[in-house]
Amino acid sequence: MTRTVLLWLAFALAAGAADQATIAQGQKQEQRTCLPCHSLRIVHTNRLSRAGWNKELDKMAGWGAKYTDRDALLEYLVATYGDAKPVAPPEMTADGRK
Amino acid sequence: MQTNRRQIFAALLAAAAARQVIGADGTAIPGKRPMILHNDRPEDLETPVKYFDNWVTPVDAFFVRQHIPRPAAIDAAAYRLNITGLVSKPLQVKLADLEKLPQHTLPATLECTGNGRAFYTPKLPGIQWGRGAVGNAEWSGPRLGDVLKLAGVDTAARFLEIDGADTPVMQTPDFVRSMPMEKALHPATLLALKMNGQSPDIHGFPARLIVPGWDGTSWVKWVVRLTPVAKESGGFFMNPGYRYPKYNLPPGTPARSAELEVIEGMPVKSTLTAPEDQSNAVLGAIAIRGFAWAGENAVERVEVSTDGGARWQNAQLSAQKLPFAWRLFTLNWTPQEPGYYTIMSRATDTAGRVQPIVPPWNPSGYLWNGIDRVGVTVEKV
Ligand code: HEC
Repeated sequence: MTRTVLLWLAFALAAGAADQATIAQGQKQEQRTCLPCHSLRIVHTNRLSRAGWNKELDKMAGWGAKYTDRDALLEYLVATYGDAKPVAPPEMTADGRK
Repeated sequence: MQTNRRQIFAALLAAAAARQVIGADGTAIPGKRPMILHNDRPEDLETPVKYFDNWVTPVDAFFVRQHIPRPAAIDAAAYRLNITGLVSKPLQVKLADLEKLPQHTLPATLECTGNGRAFYTPKLPGIQWGRGAVGNAEWSGPRLGDVLKLAGVDTAARFLEIDGADTPVMQTPDFVRSMPMEKALHPATLLALKMNGQSPDIHGFPARLIVPGWDGTSWVKWVVRLTPVAKESGGFFMNPGYRYPKYNLPPGTPARSAELEVIEGMPVKSTLTAPEDQSNAVLGAIAIRGFAWAGENAVERVEVSTDGGARWQNAQLSAQKLPFAWRLFTLNWTPQEPGYYTIMSRATDTAGRVQPIVPPWNPSGYLWNGIDRVGVTVEKV
């Protein structure tokens, strides 16, 4: 997953989107604010427009997510999981039967 | 159930532990075969279409959908079901009391309200379910009506509020639902203690609602409270959650909240299980297979096309024509030439409803029931 994130980051930078420092800062924000209630896969499997991500951040804030740098978080989400980004192939769990 | 501080603390600890495994592939979910992983915590798991060749979906292959963290393991002896609200005597019912009531078994298809969300354009936030957030199981337990009778429901009660043992984190809403009393007292509505004769485990042990023909979100898991009430209730997961626009919207536009309605019965739908999408097959006899279901109705007919929808022929259906449960379909097909074929399936139910080519886009991506399709490349050996 991390490698995929990095690839997309590289792509976003090549396309001249938000600057690298902001995106890195946004990713740190995500680690800090999004994990109490769910893992990040539910975030990273979505592909949303800027307006869509903005709405999600409002929704999560209403439920208790606290941001110190909302702008960077939004830039990171749009640059990495924007609605034009390709959908990653699904991952499978390992066999859990004993 | 409401959260207390200790539970919040436990959730934070779990989050800290999970942080170390974020992004790790190959997480095993106890009791489950390899499943499509949509979320690790809480678990959201989709059944790969290739597991679907039985009328009954095994528990180890059944999809999992959770909104808020799963409750800690419930001790069967300590379990109590609280019946409160508009009743003649509020009660705490034990699992053994539920087991003493007459037990009924009902085959019924359970489908996540958002199954197929990933097929909508423009894209919608939420779990990006493909075709496998659905399954058909044999559910056993007492009628919900018989359980409520233990406490005596007041005639002023119009709705039943249901709470599961799962607890929210921070200000996340609790998962509470309500349904009209008429559906709660329907003889097919059960409080299931068994799924395919086994413990329902992650699917709601020790007791989960079976609301035949209605969307998955109505089938509350880990039921710990039943409250007859005068008016519809239930919080976020009733409103604005799990509502559908009364009038179809242009794709990508918001709904007027006054024009959103609670989802109840599910639409008619079919899913192809074979051939596998984008697979290769050898020129010769090829079995086309799948399943079809229709909410509170039974499936009347499934038609299959092997030429992208130009011509259709009736598939063979499994014999049992039941409301609430799916039917399997098959069509033996012998293509005359090699090449790429688009295979499609279209179900019709006993009320005459037919699957559309384009299901209405809606702001939460619910109720996808478009004609199903797979592509297969037929090759000479
Ligand atoms: C206070 C708890 C909480 C925090 C913190 C939180 N979320 Fe969520 N989030 C939820 C819940 C609960 C759901 C699932 C709702 C459901 O299943 O219906 C969810 C679901 C989502 C979804 C799926 C779409 C949807 O709206 O259901 C996305 C995307 C998402 N969260 C993004 C984020 C991001 C990004 C962050 C960090 C900025 C974050 N969340 C932090 C509670 C939280």
